[in-house]
Amino acid sequence: MDQDFSKPQKQSATGVIIMFANNLQKVIRAVALPLIFIVLKSKGNYGIELILGISFLFLLLLAIYAWFSYQQFSFFLDEDKQEFVINEGIFNKSTLTIQLNKIQQVNINQSLLQQIIGVYSLDIDTAGSEKKEASIKAIDHLTATRLKQRLLSERDPITATVAVATPKPMLKLSNATLLKVGITSNYGASILLLMGFIFGLIQFFKDYTALFEVETTEIYAELSQGFGFISICFFIGFALIVVLGTNIIRTFIRYFQFQIIRQTGALAISSGLLTRKNTLLTPKKVQLSAYSQNYFQKKLGILNIKVKQAAYGTADEEESKKSHIEIPGCNELERQDILKMIYDQIPQKGKALIPNYRFLFLQIMLKIVGPSVLSCFFAFSVYQPLQPYLALLIPYAILVLILLYFEYKHHRLYASQGFIIKKSGIWDITEEIIEIHKIQAITSKQYFWHKKADVGHLLLHTAAGVIHFKYGNYSQINNLVNYWLYQLERTKKDWI
Amino acid sequence: MQEFTNDPIDINLLPQFQEVPLNGLSPKYWKIVVINMGIFIAVTTIGIIFLLLFNAEIKKYTGLIIGAYLFLMVLMFLLYRADVNRRGFAVREKDIIYRHGLIAISTTIIPFSRIQHIALDEGLFSRMYQLGQLRIFTAGGNSGSLHIPGIEIEEARQIKELLMRQISLQD
Repeated sequence: MDQDFSKPQKQSATGVIIMFANNLQKVIRAVALPLIFIVLKSKGNYGIELILGISFLFLLLLAIYAWFSYQQFSFFLDEDKQEFVINEGIFNKSTLTIQLNKIQQVNINQSLLQQIIGVYSLDIDTAGSEKKEASIKAIDHLTATRLKQRLLSERDPITATVAVATPKPMLKLSNATLLKVGITSNYGASILLLMGFIFGLIQFFKDYTALFEVETTEIYAELSQGFGFISICFFIGFALIVVLGTNIIRTFIRYFQFQIIRQTGALAISSGLLTRKNTLLTPKKVQLSAYSQNYFQKKLGILNIKVKQAAYGTADEEESKKSHIEIPGCNELERQDILKMIYDQIPQKGKALIPNYRFLFLQIMLKIVGPSVLSCFFAFSVYQPLQPYLALLIPYAILVLILLYFEYKHHRLYASQGFIIKKSGIWDITEEIIEIHKIQAITSKQYFWHKKADVGHLLLHTAAGVIHFKYGNYSQINNLVNYWLYQLERTKKDWI
Repeated sequence: MQEFTNDPIDINLLPQFQEVPLNGLSPKYWKIVVINMGIFIAVTTIGIIFLLLFNAEIKKYTGLIIGAYLFLMVLMFLLYRADVNRRGFAVREKDIIYRHGLIAISTTIIPFSRIQHIALDEGLFSRMYQLGQLRIFTAGGNSGSLHIPGIEIEEARQIKELLMRQISLQD
């Protein structure tokens, strides 16, 4: 099975197509807007032949460019120096050298185009903040897996052997689970998407009427006439179906055939419909893990897990997004399995810290009393026609009050030996777990008017974000801070 | 195997960060704040004078505008004074503490073992008064790092040296 990687070799021949497509995409992105602008401005002065001719010439040039980049791209494994070398570039030749022991993980991915052509891309992630990330864009699956093994074998011989015999996945999501996840999660994001879509439609409609000089007033009159109660109900029902539909589609695209495979010292996670994404979850690198569940999900017995690996400082924004791993649709047992895998034990909730009632006070002032007073003032002294609508303030106040109450009820901090768990949320109830030795810095904060009431706030800064507990008992918080500092400064455990 | 103990600990006997006496910033730092404020006041004053000279409509309210402006400046002065007075820091055996804030008083503690790197800045005015600003970074991003201005440059260098030694000791 040994394949010789020590001699420089090219990508799969079809790599030319990938390179061509990539370059085309880049160029189109860069020049599309100005080009459309020029074409519209010229209003057909130049004739369609010229435009077509230029485009054709351009494509030809790109094709030649792609051919040469394919010819110049080669990679090989230097066994003596323990290095992986990639040569590329037509005019500016560049050599990328990666020490084998610096390699963190090797991912084999497939985009839609790559799926059609039947090739894979191989991405190599290296340690540290240096942005040397290597990528081979077109490689067949056998070569890719063998190369992956060889690249990783230096670091950890066991991983490589395990990878040969694909073990049974530790967690695999069925389509039914995905359906459940799609129906019950991410309403917010989908509603935003839908609103963007609707605004786009409205804009399009406006442009259309302007273009054909349709009498807009007529249409609007008709619209407002027909906008009765039934049509509003119909519209809401329709919107609901669209939101759920987009949710389900999004979920399937992201998490299709989601599976977790246990490797030595890590979990390999892969999912995706159009592109298969592989990520490696290394327990030591986990900074924060969270699981969330809403009312429906509780009834269905599923929850979503989010794991954040070291991000800040070590890499840029894109990198940090990539290191956040979402595991949708687990059941209680699988959650315990995953937590056990990450922490060697299931974090226990210790004593709960309950926020002071002042937690509600400021929020009620800001979100209920303030707006009410303002709108009353506005309705009585500036714009009288608003007065009949003031009654709407009552259901608004009740709704906000209920939401605030749930936010207050769910805002809890649990401190136990080795772990800190923070619970929060209104609808989606999230529990974030951090280990004490993952804390980077601690801030305790108090407004001066809270001194007498002994109320204060706590901020735990980690490499994966801040945990914020508000309106707690300040002496209790300070005691905990002292305890955590003691643990933190005594431990030999490093945070990464 | 090393000697292993696991005695219960009394949380009240642990070192209390909130009772550590803090060092205030150098009194000279106030002068820098005053210089900065002076520049700000000079610029805004010129702006207001121009506005009053060239805009006839506003001229009617000259007294009111000048009054409000003076009030705001005095308020700013007092708030800055109180803010600078409240700031303080302390270096313990294993961590560094910084307290700041006017309305909300925050105390941030960074254990030496979590420090990523340290920067010592000298601005134009701070150099005139031999002051420096210590910036201490952790992997916790912006929110998890400290900026302590107005430390005597010699002291700041010493603290930096000390922290650097501690960091290398940890590794």
